Amino acid sequence: MNQPAQKLLVGDVTLGYRSARTDSFSLACDGLSFDVAEGEFVAIVGPSGCGKTSFLSAVAGLLPVTSGRLELNGEQILGPSPDRSLVFQQASLFPWRTVEANIAFGLKAQQRLDKKGKDRVAGLVELVGLSGKEGKYPRELSGGMGQRVNLARALATDPDLLLLDEPFSALDAQTREVMQEELTRIWQADRTGKGKTAVFVTHDVPEAVFLADRVVVFSDGPARLLEVVEVDLARPRDAAVKRSAEFQAISDYILRLVMSRSQPGRRASDHDSHTTVAG
Amino acid sequence: MTATQLSPGSVRPPVRTAGPRPRRTSGRHLNLVLGVVGLAVVLGAWQLCAVTGIVDPNFSSSPSGAFLALIESVGSGAIWAPLGSTLSIVALGMAISVVAGIPAGLLIGRNKYLHGLTDPLISIMYSVPYVVFLPMLIFWFGIEMNARLVIVVWSSLFPLLINVIAGSRNLDPAYTQVSRVYCASRLYTLRAVAFPATLPYILAGIRQAVGRALIGAIVAELFMGSSGLGYQVQLQTSNFAMDEAMASIAVIAVVAIVLTRGVGHLERRFTFWSASD
Repeated sequence: MNQPAQKLLVGDVTLGYRSARTDSFSLACDGLSFDVAEGEFVAIVGPSGCGKTSFLSAVAGLLPVTSGRLELNGEQILGPSPDRSLVFQQASLFPWRTVEANIAFGLKAQQRLDKKGKDRVAGLVELVGLSGKEGKYPRELSGGMGQRVNLARALATDPDLLLLDEPFSALDAQTREVMQEELTRIWQADRTGKGKTAVFVTHDVPEAVFLADRVVVFSDGPARLLEVVEVDLARPRDAAVKRSAEFQAISDYILRLVMSRSQPGRRASDHDSHTTVAG
Repeated sequence: MTATQLSPGSVRPPVRTAGPRPRRTSGRHLNLVLGVVGLAVVLGAWQLCAVTGIVDPNFSSSPSGAFLALIESVGSGAIWAPLGSTLSIVALGMAISVVAGIPAGLLIGRNKYLHGLTDPLISIMYSVPYVVFLPMLIFWFGIEMNARLVIVVWSSLFPLLINVIAGSRNLDPAYTQVSRVYCASRLYTLRAVAFPATLPYILAGIRQAVGRALIGAIVAELFMGSSGLGYQVQLQTSNFAMDEAMASIAVIAVVAIVLTRGVGHLERRFTFWSASD
């Protein structure tokens, strides 16, 4: 495999929301183009409220694109499908289900909770570090543990493409650090099926650099593509990499990029000045 | 009677608070002791008044007299027929309310047009004391079993309906989103997501409905019964059998407490997960 196959294709995607009350259309993303290769971990960063989450919702199939190509494995995304999983910003666990039953939800819904599915769930409980907590209910879990369940639930259906919507943004700083390392560990360990391709949305630049192979930088809303930055840090990565000069340089570069495009008072008219460097 | 009143449209999610365990248990014991003491003080005062002749026990009965009458009616078996009659009509009325009210409430809650159409009607029916319709109901349905059943259903359906509607309207959009992302079918979403999410509201509705159903049954029996505990009380009071009437009222009180506590127990059993920390 010298040239990894293209997994997700984003071609001139525009999307937004139609307000039922005023019948006006508000743009969330404007003319996005990039792609994600098989097995790649791509992070999307941008200022808060820029439309990153809207974009991810569109990839999940929850929000229709207004125009453009949004293709997974060469097929336009028209709605949710078992080949994609979403790790939610809020864990959104079902409080009446145990940890184990929450992780199994996707498999159960897709009628795949057979012997193999149950083994898969048991394996994931261990992989995400929740052994002995299978029978707990969500209200007995801390925020970090809730997000472990959220992640395991998404991995359980063995998706082709894993989508993560700021999953650690509600956690305290220490737990977030731990979870970032845990995610890379789980990412590398979970080799069931085809190996995972992931799109991770965050507003935390160092988090994006730490996790991703490439970082896609969005402008403030409506989101346009500013640049795609390669992260040439060796894997497996651990917390020490965050102190390296290389890591700092990449982070600073992206941070400046994000800051320069989120100044107040900027209008949509200086649209033409943006530089698009497709990876 | 613990039929909680609530204004329509302002139903709060039934959240219980679970404090630290040891304090909670000792608090419960304390409350039990205090409750028994309070009851004993009132009964003691009543007995004292009756014995010393401050009140005439022929009119007021007395705790000891009522207690003896209760023993007598249980011993002779005279209490079972009216008790069975009242319980069976409450059970039948509740069964109709539950079977009709839960699906109707889920449907109305999930459909904004149905909700708009029925909201004022349900609010009015819930707020107006159904007792005012009693003469009309007698006119329409007579004073047979049917008419009493209509009253029981009438009194229990609306609190249940209002709670179920509130529950299904408050379904967390995050839950349905999870369901969509994982490609759950509509049926599976209804069964595994919407139903359990609404269950706390449904059970709170049933708890209120049971209390109201019992009131409805007793009221119906007082006015138009030929059997049942309400009729029994009416008959005994007319015959100046105050001790027996008080004994029947005590039985009604026990039934009311057992029914609402029973549903309360079901609530804790099935919706323990909704308790907030």
